Amino acid sequence: MSQPNLAVTVGRQRPVHLKNPVIAASGTFGYGLEYLGQLDLGGLGGLVTKGVSLNPRQGNPPPRICETAAGMLNAIGLANVGLEVFLRDKLPALVPHGVPVVVNLYGESVAEFVELARALDQAPGVAALELNVSCPNVSGGGMAFGCQPGPVGEITSAVRAATELPLWVKLTPNVGDIVPIALAAQAAGADALSLINTLLGMAIDARNRRPRLGNVVGGLSGPAIKPVGLRMVWQVARSVDIPVVGMGGIISGEDAAEYLLAGASAVQVGTANFLDPAACRKVAEELAQFCQAQGMGDVNELVGGLEV
Amino acid sequence: MSDWAAIKENKQVGEGVYRLRLTAPAIAAQAQPGQFIMLRVSHGLDPLLARPFSIHGVDGDDLLILYKVVGKGTRLLSMVRPGNKTLSLWGPLGRGFNLDVKRPVLVAGGMGIAPIVFLADTLLNQGRKKLAFVHGAVTGKALFGGSEELRTTLLGRDLEPYLASEVEGEERYYGLIGVALEPALSSFPDSSPCGGVLACGPLPMLKAVAQICARHKVPCQVSLEAPMACGLGACLGCVIPAAGGGYVRACQEGPVMDAALVDWERTKP
Repeated sequence: MSQPNLAVTVGRQRPVHLKNPVIAASGTFGYGLEYLGQLDLGGLGGLVTKGVSLNPRQGNPPPRICETAAGMLNAIGLANVGLEVFLRDKLPALVPHGVPVVVNLYGESVAEFVELARALDQAPGVAALELNVSCPNVSGGGMAFGCQPGPVGEITSAVRAATELPLWVKLTPNVGDIVPIALAAQAAGADALSLINTLLGMAIDARNRRPRLGNVVGGLSGPAIKPVGLRMVWQVARSVDIPVVGMGGIISGEDAAEYLLAGASAVQVGTANFLDPAACRKVAEELAQFCQAQGMGDVNELVGGLEV
Repeated sequence: MSDWAAIKENKQVGEGVYRLRLTAPAIAAQAQPGQFIMLRVSHGLDPLLARPFSIHGVDGDDLLILYKVVGKGTRLLSMVRPGNKTLSLWGPLGRGFNLDVKRPVLVAGGMGIAPIVFLADTLLNQGRKKLAFVHGAVTGKALFGGSEELRTTLLGRDLEPYLASEVEGEERYYGLIGVALEPALSSFPDSSPCGGVLACGPLPMLKAVAQICARHKVPCQVSLEAPMACGLGACLGCVIPAAGGGYVRACQEGPVMDAALVDWERTKP
């Protein structure tokens, strides 16, 4: 049997065409350049950059990461080079590698998100923007924007008005009901939703009575969170009309297939990049093998194919 | 590029200390003293992350790793038997020692001996003579990773050893690393002083070494360790407080860096 088609398109009005549905997730792939020499970036479905903020951020005091059962906690603190250096050094170096570049944006106010989006709208080689709405709303009292439909809708529509780039909104799982938040992003003009971000957690060193992270709490990722990711992707995908990019604990092609069945149109691979720098390539290869073994000619046949 | 390496040997050489011999030709061909590899100790999901290991030596196509069992990952690694079993790894990673140092002093604290042996081998192969070699551990028995074999091999080379332990035993110097580093630095005549200290060991020891070097106005390179996920500079997990503010990544700007670039006051053991 011939190779199955792996190409997917995320978004209808502002489509992003990917040669396969496997995208490297924000925060686990740097600016892509760190992985040169580890795998062919041009073979990836896409990559999402480390979150870019207006100004450079130093991040949290160490320890910033710690391993947990089948997962890891991180509290990096959104350390990044800032918009200016990103546009000058990182993006121009990444674009020639021929991988769709999705730029993850981090702002502490609606105005910051808009300013970032305007600047990136003018930059050549950006395939889409992904809004990290899991960050604290500093001017709004510090509560995460992403925890309520109102602020998510507000950011999304403000950024929508500032750029014609495809707009993906990355949702946090640290909420009671994610569906109203997903609907708010859709109503405000999001082209796609990516989920899930990390789950808030903590780890304690009982012998020293100390938290294992400098920031005390951090975000849990890795295979441990896959059931939560699948559940939320399924809940959101059946409630919205725009595509969902699913993530949370994917380390194999079959994991990716599970997310597609739950309703995702594409997936992101995060923590697995730390287990194997070539993880994205391997997940895509395994997904192709899975389709072949299932007698499918097109990976899109999986999308939303869950039988309940 | 990540790869699979066959395990040729995984031998206990001291108390809780093992020497792993992996066949990894591509890494062995490029490895520089002070560089490290990322190694997954199992194929399962727990432990999940790869761990950084400094390179202890290169022998043809083989890579040598000297490690101590300190947690779940290294305990699992110690149980791996040679044969058809393979482990996943990538490297060599990070910046190694700058070898362009006149009259160097090598300093190894505890298991910091692992990369210092590779460094000493490399310098001796360059034709260096009578290398000053400072090595400290909590007890005399724990010197050389507790390995008689390593002790005999190293002391048989063209080294000037200054051995220290914190409890009284058969060694010459008792106390923290300074008791051996000070006489090593003083052994050089004023007309041709030590050109640099190259050190690896626990953070508090490196801090002390950096302070002594600053006092003697001797440049100091330190090899630092930190919890690490990718080893490639992407995860930003392994940061070290930098002099002048902010952080540097142990995996990229290090693991070997100029001691003057570290903000030692903000480092925590």
